[in-house]
Amino acid sequence: MNTRIQVTVNGVQYSHMVEPRLLLVHYLRDVLRLTGTHVGCDTSSCGACTIHVNGKATKCCTMLAVQANGCQITTIEGLSHNGDLHPLQEGFKECHGLQCGFCTPGMIMTAADLLQHNPQPTENDIRHALEGNFCRCTGYHNIVKSVLYAAEKLKEHAVVH
Amino acid sequence: MSTNGLIGRAVKRVEDKRFITGHGNYTDDIILPHQTYAVFVRSQYAHAKILSVDTSAAKEMPGVIAIYTGADLANTNGVPCGWQVNFKNGDTMKEPKHPLLVADKARHVGDAIAIVIAETKEQATDAAEAVTVEMEELPCVIDAAKAVQPGAPLVHDDVPNNKSFDWTLGNPIEEVNAAMDQAAHVTTLEFVNQRLVPNAIEPRSYNSSYDPVSEKYTLYTSSQNPHLIRLLMCAFVLGIPEHKVRVISPDVGGGFGSKIFHYTEEALLTWCSKQIGRPVKWTSERTESFLLDAHGRDHVTKAEMGFDAEGKIVALRVKTYANLGAYLSTFSSCVPTYLHGTLLQGLYTTPKINVDVTAVFTNTTPVDAYRGAGRPEATYLLERLLDLAALEMKADPAELRFKNFIPPFDGVQQPGYQTQVALQYDSGNYEGVLKKGLEMLGYADVRRQQQEAANNGKLVGVGFSTYIEACGIAPSAIVGALGCRAGLFESGHVRVQPTGKVSVYTGAHSHGQGHETTFAQVVADKLGINLDDVEIVHGDSDSVAFGMGTYGSRSLAVGGSAIIKSIEKIIEKGKKIAAHKLEASADDIEFASGRFTVKGTDKSVGFGEVALTAYVPHVYPKDLEPGLDFSSFYDPANFTYPFGCHIAVVEVDKETGKVSIKRFVAVDDVGNVINPMIVEGQIHGGVVQGIGQALFEGAEYDENGQLTNASYMDYCMPRADDLPMFETASQVTPCPHNPLGVKGAGEAGTIGSAPAIVNAVIDALWSGGHQVKDIRMPLTSERVWNAMNS
Amino acid sequence: MQLAGKHVLHAAPTRVWAILMNKDTLAHIVPGVSRLEQTGDHTYKSILDIKLGPVSGSFTGNLQLDDLQEPSAFTIKTQQNSKIGNANAAIAINLTPVGDNDTEIIFDGDVKLTGMLASLGNRVMGGVSNTLAKQFFSNLEKELDKEPAP
Repeated sequence: MNTRIQVTVNGVQYSHMVEPRLLLVHYLRDVLRLTGTHVGCDTSSCGACTIHVNGKATKCCTMLAVQANGCQITTIEGLSHNGDLHPLQEGFKECHGLQCGFCTPGMIMTAADLLQHNPQPTENDIRHALEGNFCRCTGYHNIVKSVLYAAEKLKEHAVVH
Repeated sequence: MSTNGLIGRAVKRVEDKRFITGHGNYTDDIILPHQTYAVFVRSQYAHAKILSVDTSAAKEMPGVIAIYTGADLANTNGVPCGWQVNFKNGDTMKEPKHPLLVADKARHVGDAIAIVIAETKEQATDAAEAVTVEMEELPCVIDAAKAVQPGAPLVHDDVPNNKSFDWTLGNPIEEVNAAMDQAAHVTTLEFVNQRLVPNAIEPRSYNSSYDPVSEKYTLYTSSQNPHLIRLLMCAFVLGIPEHKVRVISPDVGGGFGSKIFHYTEEALLTWCSKQIGRPVKWTSERTESFLLDAHGRDHVTKAEMGFDAEGKIVALRVKTYANLGAYLSTFSSCVPTYLHGTLLQGLYTTPKINVDVTAVFTNTTPVDAYRGAGRPEATYLLERLLDLAALEMKADPAELRFKNFIPPFDGVQQPGYQTQVALQYDSGNYEGVLKKGLEMLGYADVRRQQQEAANNGKLVGVGFSTYIEACGIAPSAIVGALGCRAGLFESGHVRVQPTGKVSVYTGAHSHGQGHETTFAQVVADKLGINLDDVEIVHGDSDSVAFGMGTYGSRSLAVGGSAIIKSIEKIIEKGKKIAAHKLEASADDIEFASGRFTVKGTDKSVGFGEVALTAYVPHVYPKDLEPGLDFSSFYDPANFTYPFGCHIAVVEVDKETGKVSIKRFVAVDDVGNVINPMIVEGQIHGGVVQGIGQALFEGAEYDENGQLTNASYMDYCMPRADDLPMFETASQVTPCPHNPLGVKGAGEAGTIGSAPAIVNAVIDALWSGGHQVKDIRMPLTSERVWNAMNS
Repeated sequence: MQLAGKHVLHAAPTRVWAILMNKDTLAHIVPGVSRLEQTGDHTYKSILDIKLGPVSGSFTGNLQLDDLQEPSAFTIKTQQNSKIGNANAAIAINLTPVGDNDTEIIFDGDVKLTGMLASLGNRVMGGVSNTLAKQFFSNLEKELDKEPAP
């Protein structure tokens, strides 16, 4: 009855037998113990569970683990490289874009997807891109500033290299 | 005392690193060895007799470890209420039992009938579905004003008219009536302050275990106040020894009040962990959160404000029905009374005030403190009345306020302001925040733009709210006299390590407020050491002496003051150690910038060296104990009273009724500010929760007591694209009665913002000739459109 | 929740009545019926499989045709239980002759929902009930078409 899945999460390959009804978010949290991805609802409404599946922002509370078979997954734990924070992680800290931190991983992963295809977003672009992620603490003001900060940082980075 | 300039600086938060990298540690992240999982069987009916509960089939299901029902807990207490309010005639409030599992009847949808514990959550879910419950549905009552009518169904058979208590405060009603009769103009508003669902994004989660060898329990709980939970659970519910219970609140993903209360699941899981000898975990699903986390607000109010011919307020009369839900939650009774009635003076010199509250049980989710708790209801009432009165009397709403403000007082040179409703305000400069707000707004320009818009057939409105709140909760003697069954002090323990590094143990709890940064700023500043050399520890009853937790914007004003007391003791002792080293008298030692110096000399010794000497006391004063470690408790002398001015500019779409917020200006005076970045963040978040109430949110019950919007698909909360950037500023009027001069910033935004938005919408409609007095919150497009077109 | 509407069928009230009172045809007409078992005069045990927007479920319960006034009126009473919540309905049905050979069916009643049906399904209930009502009448029309009018 259980099915074998093979996934690459944050660059590491895993192979597990899973129940067909196991949600991807619970696979990440309970099996791989990557608990940075959070569950805030069960209706894909809050975005706290947002990760990247094959490079695209995906709410993994409504995706089955078996659907991720063969996929490349990035979670918040895999966003920084060699100890350097991703510009978004830096932006959230610099601009006070988080308070309780519960929505933050999902918020950052959604914003990272935005910056991949729209590296210089306007305030409105950012607000529109983040409308699938709830934050109950910040009022979004500083989250918008955090993403603008990261976009600016990425631009500087692009100029340097 | 010395400072190194850390106080007042926008220091980036030290706690952020773990959150932005996914290494936060929330309760649901914890899996203990031999973990088991609980799922509840809950009532689908708002009010129904339980005829039978059959668990036999479920018990045979794979992985099931135990199932308990109300019958198993017949001799266990329910969860208590922490605040006693008396009836007007002196009788004690009606306080029916809130059992851990209901055995006789369910009183709201979601009331727990059985708990199923299994090896996995999926197995527990399957088994819970196999529990058969036979119920007989009873007529139910949802609305507070209807619940007190004769013949209404009784939520508790022994509570006549569903009335928990009635209560009054202020001047005698006869005096208020007489003043009102003399008024040249009376503005009347009858309205509903709708029920809100707090919706912290982290669902409530508990994980409880029992060690039979040490006979010790450990409860991980997503709580704002772990010590309070331990006290209530041990002393009032389970009767287990407090020293054998460790309660830990690790990272908590938002609370907004809803995680203050002692919930039935906390005690029940703890009880179960001993029964089965294994750790039991439960994490609420989102719909369970909607049905079970205590809701906020839900007042039905009639309010009248009388003015003389010059526009001075002469009287205020308020009648409120407060919906308590099915049971008294931990602090539910003080919200509509001592946190609401006491704030009805507002910022104004109103000479006669009377408030009358009837608090009622209904077949709905219990209602308790939600960000602001009572104070948003009071502010909404006052500020709506003022803007409406200005429209009715063709006065300017800002001018009307200036005319009625209490004049500035600092609480030092000028005494505090004694209100008609029991409080004494600490310090205030109310006209200051409004002046600043008007400047930031460019008031004359905005009014001109409004006129132009009206000429072009557009509806633009300006709404004001000048609020005050009472926080820094609270002086124990005062709240004790008012019925609080707890003290509301705080503890602060400062442990200087031998190398001069400092560990601080606070009874406050951070769930987004940034205590690990702000408290460290205070300590590092006062001791003249690096921020990195201070570690703030909170949320664990085994390491922190005691704590009342975080709510009522109290952490810094009360918890911070306790830490200051310990720091003073450390400096005092440090002076003695330094004096001995420097061969001087302790009276001649000054402490500044991290050094102890003999006055008027260059002889000095550093803080680190003094710390080391305290733990390696080879050369040491004879009569002094070794060590540099102090614990203090601080009980505030008064509440603190932040205030501010919020101004909203909105445009209402004539065709659709949709409200767009064009500008939002907030000037808040929260006393001295330790970290302006964090304070601003608190204001933003608070403002948006107020905007949420004004425009988006509201729990909707149908006539059968079903909560019909119990999911994020149905309950509308503000999203990023609903909001503008905010224009914020601060004014500083220090609090005269605590050592840091701070007042508190957690709830201010929520308290001030909702009436500003609603007032702006009403103003917009009047500018187009629609003389609407009230639109029921939330002001959805449909409601606004209907108001324009009726 | 209020459930009300009307529909005109191309058949006389007596024929419509006969089809609605027949257990076998009734099983084809009520949407989602996977089993209908007669337990008495016009009382049935039923299993229904119904999808209501985000929630779908298998309902077990009873169905009763009551207050019979042949051929002009009756009431459908039903109590359905499922893992996702319970539904309790009483719907009055009136059959009025229109012209020589048509019938106007007017239905009006109240549906009470509990559990997830109430908390998650309510938002889509209006749409779902319209769909179910449409299915009911289109199934009824199909049954009427099967046997030509006498």
